[in-house]
Amino acid sequence: MIRCFHVTKRYGSITALRDVTFQVEIGEFVFLTGASGAGKTTLLRLLYRAELPTSGQLVVAGRNLATMPKRQVPGFRRKLGLVFQDFKLIDDRTVADNVALVGRVTGFAKAESQRRAHELLRLVGIDGRAELFPAQISGGEQQRVAIARALMSAPALVLADEPTGNLDPDRAIEIMRIFRAINRRGTTVVVATHDPDLIAALGYRTMVLEDGKLRVLTSTEQGR
Amino acid sequence: MRADRFVALCFTEALRGLFGHRRTAAPAIAIIAVSLVVLGGFMLVSENLGTLLAQWRERGHVQIFLQMDATAAQVDAIAAGLNSNDAVESFTYLSSEDAAEQFRQDFIELGDLLVFLDENPLPASFVVTVMEPLRQERALVELTRQWEILPGVDDVQYDLQIIRRLELGVNGIRFAGGLLGLAVLLAAVITTANVIRVLVVERRREIIVLRMVGSTESLVRGRFLAEGAIQGFLGSVIALFALYGAYKIGVAYVSAGGGPLLNLFPMQFLGWRLGSALVGSGVVAGVVGAWMAFGASGDSRG
Repeated sequence: MIRCFHVTKRYGSITALRDVTFQVEIGEFVFLTGASGAGKTTLLRLLYRAELPTSGQLVVAGRNLATMPKRQVPGFRRKLGLVFQDFKLIDDRTVADNVALVGRVTGFAKAESQRRAHELLRLVGIDGRAELFPAQISGGEQQRVAIARALMSAPALVLADEPTGNLDPDRAIEIMRIFRAINRRGTTVVVATHDPDLIAALGYRTMVLEDGKLRVLTSTEQGR
Repeated sequence: MRADRFVALCFTEALRGLFGHRRTAAPAIAIIAVSLVVLGGFMLVSENLGTLLAQWRERGHVQIFLQMDATAAQVDAIAAGLNSNDAVESFTYLSSEDAAEQFRQDFIELGDLLVFLDENPLPASFVVTVMEPLRQERALVELTRQWEILPGVDDVQYDLQIIRRLELGVNGIRFAGGLLGLAVLLAAVITTANVIRVLVVERRREIIVLRMVGSTESLVRGRFLAEGAIQGFLGSVIALFALYGAYKIGVAYVSAGGGPLLNLFPMQFLGWRLGSALVGSGVVAGVVGAWMAFGASGDSRG
């Protein structure tokens, strides 16, 4: 699913990623961890083609991101599901509309988008909150909405950047169980987190970034 | 994405955005309305004057003014000459008293003026309608030359002379109106651009989310262009209503001042072509403003 060969990313004189090489197989669940500023978010931004590597090759879902024309980026992103620490929900839309919006922009009719949105909200256990606005629900619930939105385009790969960073431990575990369920349905999942307890609790392969360099790749284990 | 769904999505998102940020959008709609009232006002005036001139041109009237001391024999001779002239379709004699009465009917407020004058200054005249093929400047000049030298004739005037002077005036009004309208429309475009720029900044988070979930750039931009189009449309509809109100008030005012003026100047509101052109100008101004805004907001990165 992901092939990363000797990728380096520089911002002027600052090197955010140094010669990073790794692979993620289809259907795999991988944690990406490291201290703040280690380069986790930078690597994820490269993976969803918000930025380009300074050097090296990056192939995601069969597409070489370095050579992908800009006009093909929207189509590429529809194969991905993105989840962020700050949820990135639209405040003046209801929970259902936030999720359904993805359906609308990817070409589904309004009624079909709403139907799919409610299915996904049911899947993440928050259908009862569908007509509320993001400010009216808790942080954990907002992250479930963000996950439902990420699943709207039935992505092959889910990338999550500190999805539990704003949640208490119990809510964090709930969110991770949802990611595990998504992964068990066959979707590749990459979660960036600096929470060692979460990583230990789920026990998936972990990549550790230190100062932009990939130091440790723990071996793949069966998730618990 | 299907084209109909794309357009529907752009416009529903645009309507939703405009309603949600109506206080921000209101100034742009107001400026577009004001600019189109100015432009439409000039269009209304020049269109009515143009219609009036066309009507005059089609009449082919020549007026032969007689000297105040013209004798009855001279008047009869002129009438006989007109009767036998193949160029003349018809003619009527307007005595000095008839001219005074006509003046009183046309200008009710000024009718009393004639009472205070020692003698009626309005000369008798023949109003001649020339045959249709001769309603052109060269033929009218030739007829004027023939009739000017007749005994008892003081002056000969034909409509084309007045029409030509009025045409110059109408063209001047059109030019000035066009310039002023363009200037105000440019101001409307800049205002719309600024308003859309503010809307883009206010919805930066939403734009980021749309791009993250795979929205195409044309969809992100399309909704803002649709917002500009809707602003322009609303502004132009408001302008049309304002112009129609002003037109109705103007007609009522002229009617109250003296009905015959309306007979002289049969006023009409903008036809569907000019009305559509006005609405089109508003929509184009809105779309251009939105286009400028998105380009300048620095928010066009992927």
